[in-house]
Amino acid sequence: MPSLLVVIFVVELAVQLVNTIGATTINNLIWRLYLSIPTPLAKQFTDQRQKQKEYLAVRHDLNATSSQDEFAKWAKLQRQHDKLLEELKLKKSALEAARTRFDRYLTAVRLVSTRGAQWLLPMWYGKVPMFWLPYGWFPYYVEWFASFPRAPLGSVSIAVWQGACTSILTLVMNTVVGVLGLVAAGRESRRQRQKQKQPVPAGAGNGESKKEL
Amino acid sequence: MSAALVNVDDGDALEPTLQSILDQRSLRWIFVGGKGGVGKTTTSCSLAIQLARVRRSVLLISTDPAHNLSDAFSQKFGKEARLVDGFDNLSAMEIDPNGSIQDLLAGQGEGGDAADMGGMGGMMQDLAFAIPGIDEAMSFAEVLKQVKSLSYETIIFDTAPTGHTLRFLQFPSVLEKALAKVSQLSNQYGPLLNGFLGSNGTLPNGQNLSEMMEKLETLRATISEVNTQFKDERLTTFVCVCIPEFLSLYETERMIQELASYGIDTHSIVVNQLLFPRAGSDCEQCTARRRMQKKYLEQIEELYDEFNVVKMPLLVEEVRGKERLERFSEMLVRPFVPPS
Repeated sequence: MPSLLVVIFVVELAVQLVNTIGATTINNLIWRLYLSIPTPLAKQFTDQRQKQKEYLAVRHDLNATSSQDEFAKWAKLQRQHDKLLEELKLKKSALEAARTRFDRYLTAVRLVSTRGAQWLLPMWYGKVPMFWLPYGWFPYYVEWFASFPRAPLGSVSIAVWQGACTSILTLVMNTVVGVLGLVAAGRESRRQRQKQKQPVPAGAGNGESKKEL
Repeated sequence: MSAALVNVDDGDALEPTLQSILDQRSLRWIFVGGKGGVGKTTTSCSLAIQLARVRRSVLLISTDPAHNLSDAFSQKFGKEARLVDGFDNLSAMEIDPNGSIQDLLAGQGEGGDAADMGGMGGMMQDLAFAIPGIDEAMSFAEVLKQVKSLSYETIIFDTAPTGHTLRFLQFPSVLEKALAKVSQLSNQYGPLLNGFLGSNGTLPNGQNLSEMMEKLETLRATISEVNTQFKDERLTTFVCVCIPEFLSLYETERMIQELASYGIDTHSIVVNQLLFPRAGSDCEQCTARRRMQKKYLEQIEELYDEFNVVKMPLLVEEVRGKERLERFSEMLVRPFVPPS
């Protein structure tokens, strides 16, 4: 068992990551990973995509066929179209149900492993000191605060450690997101500047070709 | 015996007549349907005449509210089956799908207090009309009841010109679901309702809740019986009538798909009103129309290669009266040879 200090830190990190990236994005990512594993479900999805492609092709043909001039061909396509549409609808609802089940399961796991741990761990280990403060370095009220609510006086309690982790991680996350945003914005503006520059050589090129004429 | 049967089957796959229907002795119900004005009534009358020659007794029923049987045979028909003049085994009747449900509802309220009919009777009516196709289902159920006692060998229906002639075939499943819900409700809230309604659970018009449920249940049973009969290809077939024009063809295709989804057998198409102008004819409209009809006829033959496609010419006279109908009906079994 790794040290409780580390466990708390990891749980807080997970919470922060989920908050920053977004639960839906993570769900989508895991869903895609899950589908890339060769399971029966993944095969169904490939089939579905195949059918969809087929359906689109038939619809394209149907739209390209004049019902008045080539009624027989048109009617046959229409039959095929209706049949495929029916199949697609049936399959789609089944697959959507699978996705919903998967999402529900994932959400439950995520909630238990982050929010659950976040609440349960401080309750369970409320009286356990994380580490001891050096004796006599801090005044009484600081020691009292550090050991809040139930840890022995002179130690740092799990709740306080959790709070510290949260605030540091929030800071770091904000900084990282900010820096990333700045970098992205910088790249974007550079690209735009390049775009603005580009018409000039294009115009020059035109001029040259004119000269050649 | 089996070899002969196979032979017949092989033959009729492409045979351009309705002979297969005449030969299929097990057929009990024959529907004739199509878009308005394509000659459903003429076709059904002709088919009835042909069938009357090979069957013991034939009944022709029109469920079209705008009845044309009387016109076709120049004879008045009513709600009771009546022999057609000049035949001894062909009867005809005209029923009004809306009339029969009205009769039924009127009959239902009789036991109750007339003053209170407004409430529950109205509700019953609304409920009854809210279910798609129930009016037709009721009229078919009614006809079935009548016909059972009359023992006709074959019954031909001249249906109304709607795309949803047989929509009521979905009806049992709809009603089954509704009944399940209602019975669940009445089980749950029955005691409560009975508390409101008095000790014997009577509704305002003197009906009993369980009695009403029973009635609905018998209705469902009747209609599901109709269903099983109509979905049996040995007993029932559908003859599609169309004219070689786009809209009629379109409707026919839709109808055939719909019938297939209901599980009703259909293997005959009558293409009516074909123009055959004489060789030297200088009628511009006729030749132009003939060209168009030819185009659609080719399409029909390509698309419905598993059907008996019967080609009927457009005559220069109205097909009315026994003799003309008989002459016309000949062409259902002996393919019309156009004058070259």
